[in-house]
Amino acid sequence: MKTDDLIRQLAADALPVRRGAIGRRLLAGLLAGGLLSAAAVVIGLGIRPDLDRAMLGPVFWMKWSYTLSLAVAALAVTVQLARPDTVRPRGLWFLAIPVALLALAGAAELVRTPSTEWLAMWLGHSWRTCPWRVLALSAPIFAGLLWSFRRFAPTRLRAAGAAAGLSAGAFAATVYCLHCPEVSAIFVLTWYSLGILLAAGIGSLLGPRLLRW
Amino acid sequence: MGTTEAALRDLMVAGLAGDAGAHAALLRALVPLLRGFYRRRVRGGDDDIEDLVQETLIAVHTRRATWDPDRPFTAWLFAIARYKMVDQFRRHARLSPIEDADAIAAADDFEAETIARLDVDTLLEHVSPKQARMIRATRLDGLSVAEAAAAEGIGQSDVKISVHRGLKALVARVHGGTR
Repeated sequence: MKTDDLIRQLAADALPVRRGAIGRRLLAGLLAGGLLSAAAVVIGLGIRPDLDRAMLGPVFWMKWSYTLSLAVAALAVTVQLARPDTVRPRGLWFLAIPVALLALAGAAELVRTPSTEWLAMWLGHSWRTCPWRVLALSAPIFAGLLWSFRRFAPTRLRAAGAAAGLSAGAFAATVYCLHCPEVSAIFVLTWYSLGILLAAGIGSLLGPRLLRW
Repeated sequence: MGTTEAALRDLMVAGLAGDAGAHAALLRALVPLLRGFYRRRVRGGDDDIEDLVQETLIAVHTRRATWDPDRPFTAWLFAIARYKMVDQFRRHARLSPIEDADAIAAADDFEAETIARLDVDTLLEHVSPKQARMIRATRLDGLSVAEAAAAEGIGQSDVKISVHRGLKALVARVHGGTR
């Protein structure tokens, strides 16, 4: 095709693009995937029966603020990596804040608890399944983010994949809180984070294949 | 229509607001820039170069939401162009980069040069058109004062005065830091 003809065709569908369009598109992908994951929790795993009471206590909110703030920080990095001219994303250190705060809460918890109970507290009732469930729940969210990326222009595909995986994992952990009755900070710090990191790792492996354009 | 960073940015902003005419003008203005970019970097026939140019134009169009108006337009454009080039190398063994490191360094110079030229163009917009023409002729295009005077149809002292006043204004502007 002649380049002039191509330009004419392209210009014919020059729809307006609003500022912040990529942030909105990323959020749309995240929420669409998140809805699927939430449906999987409700139908498959079941919402924890004491959710209404748990929402009145501090532990539930500790878990949610950890996973949600991680998700927000990871999304902020992902938005930057959606642009072609981002060499080094800024604000990576924001990711460390929720981890550090939860580690503090965990340390306080250990101080309060006799050391004979540490192991039971750390492993909880579900340490074997928790990381895998978080990872599984991140899959629909990651798929949603892949849809968002179809209009993006990432040039650092591995980093973009890792950031998208991290966002998906952290948001999946947020959804998983609806089911998970665990109450310990060190449990969350270990097993939730492990699931989230697995999602980020798989994202970094898939990025170069799936994010090409 | 110019191809300065400022002019391209204005077209891009108007295109993003839905102005199809500006968007078409932008894409047309990018064609020579991209051809130059790829010719210096890719060993391939004119068709290969044109394919890359078209691929890049399509990417610029479909992914235009990824430009951040707070960042330079040309940096965004060249990031896309570079990505498309590397991607083409992976897909088609037929195309190869101009191989040795020196050539690639030279190509990088071209990019820097283009951006520098765009900067100069932006600066020259701030002096009178005649002064800009005379500075360009004598300082950038390498004409002698006599040649520039003949080309413009004015006296040699007139050329000298234009260049002198124009440069003085530019120096003041650069030192003032206004942009």
